[in-house]
Amino acid sequence: MSTTLFRTIQPNQFSLFGSTLLRWRRSSNFSVRCCGSQTTTTTQKIKQPSQSRIAPKNHGSNKLDEILRDYEAVIGIETHVQLSTLTKAFCNCPNSYGSHPNTSICPVCMGLPGALPVLNSKVVEFGVRLGLALNCDLSLKSKFDRKQYFYPDLPKGYQISQFDIPIASGGFVDVDIPLEFGGGHRRFGITRVHMEEDAGKLLHSDTGDYSQVDLNRAGVPLLEIVSEPDMRTGIEAAEYASEMQRIVRYLGVSNGNMQEGSLRCDVNISIRPIGQTEFGTKVEIKNLNAFSAVSRAIDFEISRQALLHNQGQADQIVTETRLWEEGAQKTVTMRKKEGLADYRYFPEPDLPEVILTQEYVDSIRASLPELPEAKRRRYEAMGLGMQDVLFLANDVSVAEYFEAVIGKGADVKSAANWIMSDIAAYLKNEELSINDAKLTPQELAELIAAIKDGTISGKIGKQILFELLAKGGTVQGMIKAKDLVQITDPAEIEKMVLKVVSENPKQLEQYRSGKTKLEGYFAGQVMKMSKGKANPALLNKILQEKLNAKD
Amino acid sequence: MATRAFLAVISSSPNRCFITPRMIKNQASAFSSSSSSSALQFQRHSRKPHRISRSFSSETNSSVLQPPDISSLAKTARISLTPAEIEEYEPKIRQVIDWFGQLQQVDVNSVEPAIRADMEGGNLREDAPETFENRDSIRASIPSFDEAYLKVPKVLNKE
Repeated sequence: MSTTLFRTIQPNQFSLFGSTLLRWRRSSNFSVRCCGSQTTTTTQKIKQPSQSRIAPKNHGSNKLDEILRDYEAVIGIETHVQLSTLTKAFCNCPNSYGSHPNTSICPVCMGLPGALPVLNSKVVEFGVRLGLALNCDLSLKSKFDRKQYFYPDLPKGYQISQFDIPIASGGFVDVDIPLEFGGGHRRFGITRVHMEEDAGKLLHSDTGDYSQVDLNRAGVPLLEIVSEPDMRTGIEAAEYASEMQRIVRYLGVSNGNMQEGSLRCDVNISIRPIGQTEFGTKVEIKNLNAFSAVSRAIDFEISRQALLHNQGQADQIVTETRLWEEGAQKTVTMRKKEGLADYRYFPEPDLPEVILTQEYVDSIRASLPELPEAKRRRYEAMGLGMQDVLFLANDVSVAEYFEAVIGKGADVKSAANWIMSDIAAYLKNEELSINDAKLTPQELAELIAAIKDGTISGKIGKQILFELLAKGGTVQGMIKAKDLVQITDPAEIEKMVLKVVSENPKQLEQYRSGKTKLEGYFAGQVMKMSKGKANPALLNKILQEKLNAKD
Repeated sequence: MATRAFLAVISSSPNRCFITPRMIKNQASAFSSSSSSSALQFQRHSRKPHRISRSFSSETNSSVLQPPDISSLAKTARISLTPAEIEEYEPKIRQVIDWFGQLQQVDVNSVEPAIRADMEGGNLREDAPETFENRDSIRASIPSFDEAYLKVPKVLNKE
């Protein structure tokens, strides 16, 4: 009976838990919140063309730079990661995005009386994987709690979450800021990672006086990652968010897709005059569906709050939740918070504690893949520039491809160049992922080798690259079938040079009277005659000899 | 016992129970006959090193805890109570709170906090999907549909 009591005696809830159980490191950073994201039909229609790299435009960046001379922003991020488990967190219902609405339901996730939750073992495994990847301490014993709120997307009337003892806490993540935004290496603290269930999806019709609910998502497992308030700019926040995406994708715990809502970032931001130690009033921003939106919403919010400070209206900055409007590129008030919402947390009586053995944790630690940060440092040590490093390590499939190519003995820098330029352009154009490319890593390595040893010219290499990407096949096969072997016989090249020179007496005369730029014209003609196969170095050498010969 | 009955009313929060229990067949082993059984187990299995009197009397010092505000309790539980009911429940809830007042006076400084009652942890489930067969009867009891979606009054902001 004691457990049943917790939920009704609200004023004393915290004292009942006792201060020893409340262990966050900085209470100012911790905030309780609702998990269910609100999706409006309008925002769903907004399509982000690409989310692979951050491309924030610092709108009015001069103005922002000016503001940042006087004010400092303090930013923390809560990230909800939807796990790619086959079933929901506490019942066997399939966890499948895009199913027909309200088909993946059962008495447990519908909150019917008498139905009891049973925890999915994969959720614990994914929690441990992510906790370890974020350098956290794991709680060998953690528990679930009920967070009460009434809303139509939450059939039970409460969300099963973790409150005072999350599965992982006290970690950090390292990121590299892209060069175009100033570069540099940053470390951001991770306050905690906890397991919880998602709410259903609410759709608000623009017209009409009702809302629609799809409960397929109700009970789908989430990991919530809470950062320390360690970020200071929109760029840092966007880079933090994209590192979260990389990490969950590397780990295979989530597809990390922001458009589908599999990765949702809520930003907490306040500003303070430089030199002030205490935090300003914190505002939460939701509805950030792309990394660029994270960055732009923060820039907007910094400007908005600084303006209020400068106008002597700092008191108008209130604790509230604001929505990012992608169309208007601004944040608007969603709801004001009068004090903390009373969620009446209490220990979930229907679930036992979550116990991890050290062996279990060690076995997961041993199975962790190389993580983005380790990969970036390793690529850097190979001698690649930061731009190459960030590109290659951004997508785990690209990184695997790159490593397969150099595993076949290809030169590191050449492999990086081919992947980042022509291959990336082709894939982008065709809207394919690197896994769809018909060019195998083996053949790319062959191609690089064939160019390096002079079998084919770089120009020919480029030509057959696109054919290999689209149709597959082998480099050797294509070289033979198309007779593409580079002409490296000086006698043969000399023949072609002489023919071109004799066929263009007028140009020759101009060249010899000082218009030396015409050398390029001759080189082009010879190359054309050789169908691109002449070795360029030899060609240039022989051509110069002939052009400058005094006969 | 009357207190427990009241709490059961609150905790089952009738607003969300748009399907009556009899419409759902008890299929899975995950069902228990009563949702409060695990709570009872919780108490039975707890290993409290200190024996505490379970008397509900309020003779002992109970001034540490605030008296209950029944109206606001009812509001957070989304139930409506008549003034007569409020008057009836007030002393009963107060008794329970007083009992917690007693619990709080126990010196537990030397005791490691039990984050959870001992319920044989590690009862986990394989991640294997299974479609609940009787979905139609769940859907049949939903009062209002808009095509495939549940239709609810327009809500824009969370409380």
